[in-house]
Amino acid sequence: MLRFVVRRLLLLIPVLIGLSILVFLWIRALPGSPATTLLGERATPEAIAAINEQYGLNKPLHVQYFAYVENVAQFDFGDSVTSRRPVIDEFGQRFPATIELAFAAMLFSMLIGLPLGFFAAKRYGGVLDQLSLVASLLGISVPIFVLAIILKFVFAVKLGLLPTVGRISVLINIDHPTNFYVLDALLAGDLEAFWDTLKHLILPAIALGSIPLAIVARITRAAVLDVQNEDYVRTARAKGVAPRTVDTRHILRNAMLPIATIIGLQTGLLLSGAVLTETVFAYPGIGTWLVEAIKARNYPVLQGGILFIALVFVLVNLLVDLSYALLNPRIRLS
Amino acid sequence: MSIAELEAREIALEPGQGGLWRDAWRRLRRNPGALIGFTLVGLFVVVALFASVIAPEDPRFGDLSRLGGSCCPGPSFDHWFGVDQQGRDVLSRIVFGARFSLLIGVVSVAVGLSLGLVLGSIAGYMGGIVDGIIMRLTDIMLSIPGLLLAIGIVAMLGPGLFQIMIAVGATQVPIFARLMRGSILAQRENDFVLAARAIGVPRRSILASHILPNAISPVIVQGTLALATAIIDVAGLGFLGLGPQDPSTPEWGTMLTDTTRYLQTAPHLAIIPGVAIIISVLGFNLIGDGLREALDPKLRGRG
Repeated sequence: MLRFVVRRLLLLIPVLIGLSILVFLWIRALPGSPATTLLGERATPEAIAAINEQYGLNKPLHVQYFAYVENVAQFDFGDSVTSRRPVIDEFGQRFPATIELAFAAMLFSMLIGLPLGFFAAKRYGGVLDQLSLVASLLGISVPIFVLAIILKFVFAVKLGLLPTVGRISVLINIDHPTNFYVLDALLAGDLEAFWDTLKHLILPAIALGSIPLAIVARITRAAVLDVQNEDYVRTARAKGVAPRTVDTRHILRNAMLPIATIIGLQTGLLLSGAVLTETVFAYPGIGTWLVEAIKARNYPVLQGGILFIALVFVLVNLLVDLSYALLNPRIRLS
Repeated sequence: MSIAELEAREIALEPGQGGLWRDAWRRLRRNPGALIGFTLVGLFVVVALFASVIAPEDPRFGDLSRLGGSCCPGPSFDHWFGVDQQGRDVLSRIVFGARFSLLIGVVSVAVGLSLGLVLGSIAGYMGGIVDGIIMRLTDIMLSIPGLLLAIGIVAMLGPGLFQIMIAVGATQVPIFARLMRGSILAQRENDFVLAARAIGVPRRSILASHILPNAISPVIVQGTLALATAIIDVAGLGFLGLGPQDPSTPEWGTMLTDTTRYLQTAPHLAIIPGVAIIISVLGFNLIGDGLREALDPKLRGRG
């Protein structure tokens, strides 16, 4: 087990090095430069040279790259060109927002997708089964931003039940020690703020959760259909194990394996989807941050942000691989 | 179990029933979902091909006097799908938008598929260090979420139709490469490959005429589903303002960009392009699912 973890972590090294080079070169290939963006109308050759000097952009590429790597190793990702604040600070504010959103979306998709897929398989060919097939088909066919706009139109604009933008109402003031606003509201013991932050999460979470919901329902259904005809399930039934225990201990537990894989693979989709969802709901997360950074040619933010996202993504997939061992004792990692 | 073995079994079971493809086609025709899919995609393709005949107006022509002081008049007899914020006929824009979506979708999948197939085949067949390098490359590409990668490439190449095709195609390369590699690895150890090698067939023609044809069916399924994803991604880029250079281009995603501002008074501006995207994506997804079931050797003979 330990050897497996170490080997997987070592395999991450070439991926991360390759990624950092790729991101570094990509950013240099972008048209325009931070100096011209920053200076706009005032871009005289001297001013541009001064900015390039300040950010080290006048040095040879490989020197810039190694300087960058050296700083990254010390968790120094530079300052944002537009806000002049350290990238890592901005990241610390934006990242929890997206995690909160992604977590809520995943929770939504699991709470609905798992039971839907499970009962669809139990009543194979029945009404619920047909319903689950239609739902999962629609889930992957309706683009996130279309669903987000429709949800916003119906529940926020027409019915006025839920807020249209942001993470928290302007009038509510609480401290943000963790930047997970829901958690912050709980820590402050402010129930009104807690409810307010939840209300801001509902629509974005449903929009973002629609694709994982479809996929989780589909995979659960397929996995349960596969497992429930296995010999050990028949044996368990034959020896008189209670139906509920067969469902949970024998069927669901074994069906979790493909489900766990899929959930891991959803992380990338969630992050892609977050860009679109956050744009519709003007939600201040990683997605809107990176899109703004691209428009403003904000090199340090792009470099740090994409590297972070890739790291998170790769680590989540590692965790998924490790969870196989916990879910399925037959797999002895080696 | 190889497809060749299955075919042998199939011939023994149902004499005169033909090969994998005929069998798949027979079952596809009996699948109601796939039939709906073919209808939707057929509609989409016909609209795209005959856009200039079907559309009542030039999609770029705008007449602000049609707004009548408010934004924006909804569906009426003159304008079935209403009028947008610049006084353009929404029906004409939707019809021409089909052409853009189909064109960009097909070209970008073709780019992703061909590059992915080449890389995946080489990796799977050569193995060793080449395989290692190609797989690490796909690891790197897959570690950036798809849409972000596409956004990055568009940012680098600049906006434009061609750039969008490349960007969306690039996100599909690692997926096809991995799929193809897995498929080839499964085929490589087959007896017929060993036989071909034993009688001295060159490596390249073993790959081209013995392995590839047998490894291709999962790629076809993925290709159909990739068309659906490509249409969504293209619309997503358009929605984020990274669509075609000319903002008056009738692209479905771009049409959605400003609609949130008019949601209160003119919801049709958001709903109609949204429905157009959903219909075309749904069509390809239905066909893809149907194909997957039809080509799945485990399900053969049930239809």
